[in-house]
Amino acid sequence: MGENSYCIRPAFQHRFKPAIVKGKIYTVLKEELTNKFYDPEEVPSLTRKIAEAIKTQVKECAFQRYKLVVQVVIGEQRGEGVKMTARCFWDADTDNFAQAVYMNDSLFCVAAAFGCYLY
Amino acid sequence: MKPSKGKTKEDTWKTEELLKHIKAAQGDHPDHRDKKNRVEKRHKEEESEDRRHRGRDRDRQGDQDNDKVRSKGRESDGDLGHGKVHKKVKNEERDKVRGKEKESEKRKDRDGGNYKERDKRSGRRVHDEDEEWDFNIERSTKRGYESERNRDKERERRKEKIKSLESGRENDGNDDQRTKHWQKEDKGNLELSKHDKHEEKERRRRERKEKEGRKAESNEEGKEKKRRSSDVRDDDYERRHRERKDHELHDGRREKRQKDRQETGLEINVEEIDKKWRDKKVKESKEDKRKHQYKEIKDSDREREHKKREKRDWERREGQERNHRRKKEMDEQERQGEGSKEESGRRTREHLPEFTDESGLKGATDQEKHAGTLLEELVEGEEIGIEIKTAFESTNYEDDFEDYEDDFEEDECEVEEEEKEQEKEEIPAQQRAEIEAIQKAITAENEKICATWMRNNQVTYVEEPKKVEDSRSRGPVRGTCIDFVAAKQREINSKVACKQKKRSAELLRLIDLDFSVTFSMLDLPPLNEYDVYIKSFGRTNTKQAFVQSNEDDVDQEIQTDEIETVDKWTQHPGEGNLVCGGENLSDTFSSDSLIKNIDTQRLTNFLRSACQVIAVLLEEDEAENQANKNIQSKAASLSVSDGCSQLNTNLPFLNGREVLCLHFSQAQRQTLLSVHSFPKEPGVVKLVSNYIICIWNIWEPSFPQKVLICESEVQCCCFGPGDALSVFAGTVDGSVVAWDLRDCSNIHYNLQIGEQEWTFRLPTFTTDGVQTAVNHSCAVKAIDPVSSPTYDNCIGLSLLTSQQGSSGLTFQLASLDESGLLNLWVVIELPKADLAGSLTDLGLIPGGKMKLIHSSSIDVISFLPRNLMEMCRPQTLSIKFMPTDSNHFFIGTDIGLVSHGTRHGLQVAPRLYKPETDGTRPVQVTCIDFCHFGKTMFLVGCSDGTIRLHSVTKECPILQWNESTRGSPIQNMLWALTRPGMFFVLDTASHIYVWDLLQDVSKPVSEEILQPDRITTMDILGNPEKPNASSGLMLAKQSGTIEMQYLQKKWSGPHLNELETLHYLLQKTV
Repeated sequence: MGENSYCIRPAFQHRFKPAIVKGKIYTVLKEELTNKFYDPEEVPSLTRKIAEAIKTQVKECAFQRYKLVVQVVIGEQRGEGVKMTARCFWDADTDNFAQAVYMNDSLFCVAAAFGCYLY
Repeated sequence: MKPSKGKTKEDTWKTEELLKHIKAAQGDHPDHRDKKNRVEKRHKEEESEDRRHRGRDRDRQGDQDNDKVRSKGRESDGDLGHGKVHKKVKNEERDKVRGKEKESEKRKDRDGGNYKERDKRSGRRVHDEDEEWDFNIERSTKRGYESERNRDKERERRKEKIKSLESGRENDGNDDQRTKHWQKEDKGNLELSKHDKHEEKERRRRERKEKEGRKAESNEEGKEKKRRSSDVRDDDYERRHRERKDHELHDGRREKRQKDRQETGLEINVEEIDKKWRDKKVKESKEDKRKHQYKEIKDSDREREHKKREKRDWERREGQERNHRRKKEMDEQERQGEGSKEESGRRTREHLPEFTDESGLKGATDQEKHAGTLLEELVEGEEIGIEIKTAFESTNYEDDFEDYEDDFEEDECEVEEEEKEQEKEEIPAQQRAEIEAIQKAITAENEKICATWMRNNQVTYVEEPKKVEDSRSRGPVRGTCIDFVAAKQREINSKVACKQKKRSAELLRLIDLDFSVTFSMLDLPPLNEYDVYIKSFGRTNTKQAFVQSNEDDVDQEIQTDEIETVDKWTQHPGEGNLVCGGENLSDTFSSDSLIKNIDTQRLTNFLRSACQVIAVLLEEDEAENQANKNIQSKAASLSVSDGCSQLNTNLPFLNGREVLCLHFSQAQRQTLLSVHSFPKEPGVVKLVSNYIICIWNIWEPSFPQKVLICESEVQCCCFGPGDALSVFAGTVDGSVVAWDLRDCSNIHYNLQIGEQEWTFRLPTFTTDGVQTAVNHSCAVKAIDPVSSPTYDNCIGLSLLTSQQGSSGLTFQLASLDESGLLNLWVVIELPKADLAGSLTDLGLIPGGKMKLIHSSSIDVISFLPRNLMEMCRPQTLSIKFMPTDSNHFFIGTDIGLVSHGTRHGLQVAPRLYKPETDGTRPVQVTCIDFCHFGKTMFLVGCSDGTIRLHSVTKECPILQWNESTRGSPIQNMLWALTRPGMFFVLDTASHIYVWDLLQDVSKPVSEEILQPDRITTMDILGNPEKPNASSGLMLAKQSGTIEMQYLQKKWSGPHLNELETLHYLLQKTV
């Protein structure tokens, strides 16, 4: 391997584009969660399903050499305050994330997709 | 899978085993051998194990169903091997001293399977050879793997070369002999081996595991074991390979075959060449030594020892090689190039005891047997070659070898003494010590390395220390399996990991990782109570109902008294008799309220006019009383008058002021204005710097109706045309000033003088300083309202109309200055007064309601002929509008001419009215006055005393009187209002001339001289529509008094056909 054969930066068209991903995430959330009510039995499987769906969706975007991490959190809306933050140790130049929130009367769902560039 | 030769191998192995057994039987301790072999328990297993060994390589890749069985075997093997090795290393001497039987028994005691194992091992060795053979056959398939190995081997070989050079003891020449022996054994074993074929696979597997176990053990126990274990597999392969090549040196055929089989790449070829070279050297060195030894040990029993020696020799050589290789491999693995030399040294030492006598024996056997064995070899041909090779390869299994060695040693006990001596002889004490030291060091080193290495191999490391102490006490614990795939995997993994590490190290230099800002994924504030409520209950289809609890119904005490309240109502304007009411009181006032149906507007109108009348009546009454005294005392001073009265100008603010102008209102004949100049001496009041204009009602002479003040000198003054409610004045500085007499008094200057409070009205509007573009820039000489005939007609209604809508008050005003600029203004009344003042009309007094808007400007001089203009620009002094047609105006100039102009429309003739004598003279036209009766004639008075009577239609005057005033300038000239042919002339000499054209056309009827008080100006009172009403001359005197001279009836009363007579007369005179 040559010394400098590493691909340090993704090409622009292959960059992780939060706007697109966000749209996709939201579409998935909308599809999956419209008219859904919070059901503690169902939610664990639902989150997994959503996460998978988001992952496949995002993969279709063809962000080359990106490792994806998808996090989905579904919580019940009962009037309590919820605060959720993310903090990443990464290369901010290449890595990014997109996040979307879906809320209806009975639940809220936060889905975040993190894209980490594999050098 | 097995090649055809597999069987032959098996056979050979069996023969070998058999041979061994035979040998054992023949040797010093045949019992032992037999015992071992005969141990019923595991005999079968062992044999099967051997077979297993054979197929091991193959099975390695095969299924692992038999793991359990294998592990069992392995364990036993491991124990055995361990014990053996241990024995060899530590108790070499002791073992030798001890009888074989003892040892075996001990072993049995300690570890049930030992004797078994030994047999096994002996078989195994052979079996390994077989295996090797198999391996060779299969190698083509495993070439890839081998090629890797070969590289390692190459390295090892290089080291080995060096070692071999150093040690130089071993002789490849022995190989041939050895092989023969093996061969024999194999043959012997042939039958034995066959009977357990069905168990082969299992055993093989077990064997494999055993090896692994052994490996592990060896690591723990010391260098030998280490050596053995470190890379059993690799070792085996390499060894086999090398040995094969060695054989090749001796046997071309074999070599060929091998080559065919191997078909290894370049590397292998190179290796081969290397090996050859190496082997040669090794052989040479070994042979030399052996020869030397041989001489010394001639006595020994060759027959018996021959085999032993062979074995030993073989063993030793193999061991050596193995050790070297192992060590090298170890070194390689650990990437430590160090210990090769040391090892070689150590090894030499290790093997020295054996070597010394064995080599001697070997040398002897070699030499003796060489001739015979060679033949055998040749006869046996290929097979032998193969077997030899396999035999060599069999040494892979160190345990086997070791075991064998042990046995050998036991056999050797007789020769012990010799060996020792030989050792001592051959190796100097110093060297030995050195070697020992090195050995120790190496051991330590190896242990260390092994410790680390073993961890990876998952060997039961914990148990190892014990075993090091007493290898024989170790039970069948070594049950670990050498998982080659896993090992390989590990290696790959470690390589990959290494690569990744390197990669990451390189990348991390280029990349900055950081804790990016914390992303807020969700921030959902807690809902407050109401939101929750609404959320749960505020949906559609649910109804919210509120019920009031009594919580907020609170009583609080207050200490104030109750306020009495009564309801009342009122209505304005009242639509019925009842305009106000309320409980209780409505009854009491109901009777009164019936009366109150009043039209307030009508009432005010009535009161205003009525109070004027009453005021006049009261004034007259008072005046009559006074007149009885004053007027009579003041007898009529004029011949034409029958009485006179004075206006009360004896007011503090009028003291010392000369009356410059008197002017009666055309609409209200009794209303008079008087213009008072600056006082001659400073008066009591502060109005010194102001001109004062007083508005009088002549019937209320005691005080002026209104007092107006102006800060500038007033040149001319006039009333508004329709009524006496507005006054206009032109000032010497070119401004036009207007007063609205209806102004509320409180916006003006109120001054308490004496007991009376006077309101001094400031101009409501002034053009002073505004509209500078169009305003007059020099003294305004004349100002005159443009009265329209329509307006005249509604004079009678003026009171009402002005009351009704003051906004109807619009008319035009003309102001003429000296330079001939005639400005026309529109006087408008504002609908609403603004006490705050106007932002746009800067000339408007705050609260004022009347303003002037500039309408148009006419340059009057332009009406004069050009030839007059050439001399100098004439001044314009006065202006009069024709009473019947306000479109026409007549302007008096300072050149004796009267110019005729129109406000709009074409120029009309005559443009000029000239005196009889042609040409222009510097004569000012001081006054122009129109006859009030139908005829359009006017009088022109000039500063040279000339009086001209003009007809509007003719340029030249009808009549001209030049010397009527004896040259004194005409001051004022007024037509009488009641009689057409009569007019009054006032000259500057204060003479009043009364003309009556009906009586005398050539000269005045009478001349009055009022002395000593000079008359400054006069105006005439009278009403043309009411000829019988009183008429008189209002005279203003220099002293400031204003005097009314009532004309006698004979002068004021109209005569019959007077106007016709006048016309006739005039026509006659013309």
